[in-house]
Amino acid sequence: MKLTVSHPSHIREGVTINKIMWSKIAILAVLSLFSAVVFGPEALAVVLVSVLAAVLTETGIQKLTKQELTIKDGDAVLIGLVMALLLPPTVALWIPVVGAFFAVALVKHAFGGLGSTLFNPAIAAWVFMNMSWGTLTGSESIPHISEYTDLFIEYGSGRLGEVSSLILIIGGLYLIYKKYIDWRIPTLYLISTIVMALLIGEELSYVITGMLFLGIFILAPDPTTSPITKKGRFIYGILCGILTVVYGYLTYDYVVAVLYTVFFANAVAPFIEKNTFPKPVNEVSA
Amino acid sequence: MTTEEVKKETPKKKKEPGKQVVIPLLQHIGITCKPLVKVKDEVLIGQKIGESSDGLCAPVHSSIAGHVVAIEERLHPLCGKIPSIVIESDESNRAIELKANNNPSKEDIINAVQEAGIVDVTGYPLYDMLTTYNRIDTVLINLTFPGDVNSNCAPENIPKIIEGMRLLMKGSGALDGAFIIHKYNQSLLSKIKSELRDENVEIITAKNNYSPIMTNLLAHEITGIPVPNTQTPLDVGVILSSASGALAVTRAVNDGIPSIEVNVTVSGAVRNPGTLRVNIGTSFKEVIQSSGGYSGEPGKIIMNGSLNGTAQPNDEVPVIKSTTEIIVQSTDEVLRESPGPCIHCARCVDVCPVNILPGRIASFSDMGMYDECFKLHVISCIECGKCNYACPSNRHIIQLIKFAKAELVKLLTIPDEEATPSPGCQSCENPCLLGEPFISGGIA
Repeated sequence: MKLTVSHPSHIREGVTINKIMWSKIAILAVLSLFSAVVFGPEALAVVLVSVLAAVLTETGIQKLTKQELTIKDGDAVLIGLVMALLLPPTVALWIPVVGAFFAVALVKHAFGGLGSTLFNPAIAAWVFMNMSWGTLTGSESIPHISEYTDLFIEYGSGRLGEVSSLILIIGGLYLIYKKYIDWRIPTLYLISTIVMALLIGEELSYVITGMLFLGIFILAPDPTTSPITKKGRFIYGILCGILTVVYGYLTYDYVVAVLYTVFFANAVAPFIEKNTFPKPVNEVSA
Repeated sequence: MTTEEVKKETPKKKKEPGKQVVIPLLQHIGITCKPLVKVKDEVLIGQKIGESSDGLCAPVHSSIAGHVVAIEERLHPLCGKIPSIVIESDESNRAIELKANNNPSKEDIINAVQEAGIVDVTGYPLYDMLTTYNRIDTVLINLTFPGDVNSNCAPENIPKIIEGMRLLMKGSGALDGAFIIHKYNQSLLSKIKSELRDENVEIITAKNNYSPIMTNLLAHEITGIPVPNTQTPLDVGVILSSASGALAVTRAVNDGIPSIEVNVTVSGAVRNPGTLRVNIGTSFKEVIQSSGGYSGEPGKIIMNGSLNGTAQPNDEVPVIKSTTEIIVQSTDEVLRESPGPCIHCARCVDVCPVNILPGRIASFSDMGMYDECFKLHVISCIECGKCNYACPSNRHIIQLIKFAKAELVKLLTIPDEEATPSPGCQSCENPCLLGEPFISGGIA
């Protein structure tokens, strides 16, 4: 009889990185199908090319540097998928290839791989693409939620990820229910966005887009790039809301506002985190 | 360890005493007892066979009648190898005379608790709690640790637990008492409520399960006064005991029976999981055989809880006074995943009961940056194991935190000849697993 002796704990909750990643991928895959309904099969082509490029880049890097292959954890697939959802369906197919390479090679692996990224790779790649080929990656239409059915499927959207708010809301609530993402950032982001928009006097039908929900449930609560302290996540959520409305108010584009918001919020996340380190409850103040 | 795991009480069986018992001379936090018997001596049930007057110590008693075969170092479930008295049974069941006392005075209670060598599930001798120089105003009995509740809160024990509370209040001079019960454990709540007559004793419902390692935190939540790891609940005027402690007190004071038996719940990969009444010193193997034996190949044997219990090197280790639970994991259940990178998901931060950043500390500890761990309050960690349980990346958070603490002790201890030694255990050189919060202080 061989017995294992190890440190506690001897059981685990059963939530794994793989489960978190693939649940997000499943939600976004459904969203991609909806985008194919709106934009036609070329939307799926963008998604497939982007995912494939991200996976191949990761495989190549890990083969070259003789690391263990980590395609199975789903991070590369998720990066490719999220990045594709930020693009318009008419984009030339070489752009997502370059973007996926930039995201996986330069934003993810150059900084140390999974868990060490400073910026959300998909967002950083989108910023890179937008800076380099702004006219090629710009969208032709800005969504406007004029009826309630637009929340389910929005035919006026310009980018793949905005076609259905409802899928993202259901998926996001599922992620929160399963504790795959934290509830603080999504809740605070949504509340502060609405409060800011009402304060400024903006029409909510322009503020609340599919991209906002993508930001709320997938982009902003990305674990690696958001603060880990509880207070920090509150502040992060509020900051995201404020930035979104300010950027959107000044540029009249609440879709791009979400993406730049997450990019800038990522940049200040370490600063927020550093200033909100908690105090142990059992420490006696001197 | 959710409350759903709190099983229904199974009818209690008495395990037949085995042929041989191994009684460790250290079953508590403190110093090792000196043997009072020699090899080949005759001993009776309940006879005192080990004691020391040099410091914090709870005497040990023989749990069977027979003769001493050996006094040697044997495996201990918590502390590696410890001098132990091996007794072989002569199957006569001769016992010492019991001194029953149904109307004890305060001194009688303290003497009886000391003589009986009662040790709480935390490993702390109960008589030391009663004789503390702190003014005690509250006695709390923690009924939220599933292992303890499953073993000791059978319906026939409830009046004894309530009597134990009364005796502890009388012995310590406390005016108030309270039972802490998990809010979902309604059956236990109603049972205690129907039996409780004393109006000074309240029932407090808690939202969490508090394992023995979390006693300081529980005392903090009840009293509102923070109890750091360098202190015990005694420092805030609270005696915090458990169902097993209260039962043992009743038995010792009213019936004069020393601490020679414990209730142990056997669960996991055994044929008939359930609660057994076991003599102290019985090997885990015999206890598991009385529960029907292993079902399948055992992979890990854990004492006292899956979250922060101790995995045993083999099944020959004896049951000691603080044993409440034996969990057998089959080979498939044993965790074998290698740790992945930290993705900063902050799940460990969300579950941490002392509000520190366990994952970040573990990462710094992994890199050898112990000064950063210190800045992040690694000393405040109570090692409850919840972060480890929640980690999606299979990181060994608790192990890394314990390692950082040990390294910090090395870094921060200034050798000083005249300094008074800490009151901790001095029986072995290994890092102590017996209630580490009590002795890991001295540097904070």
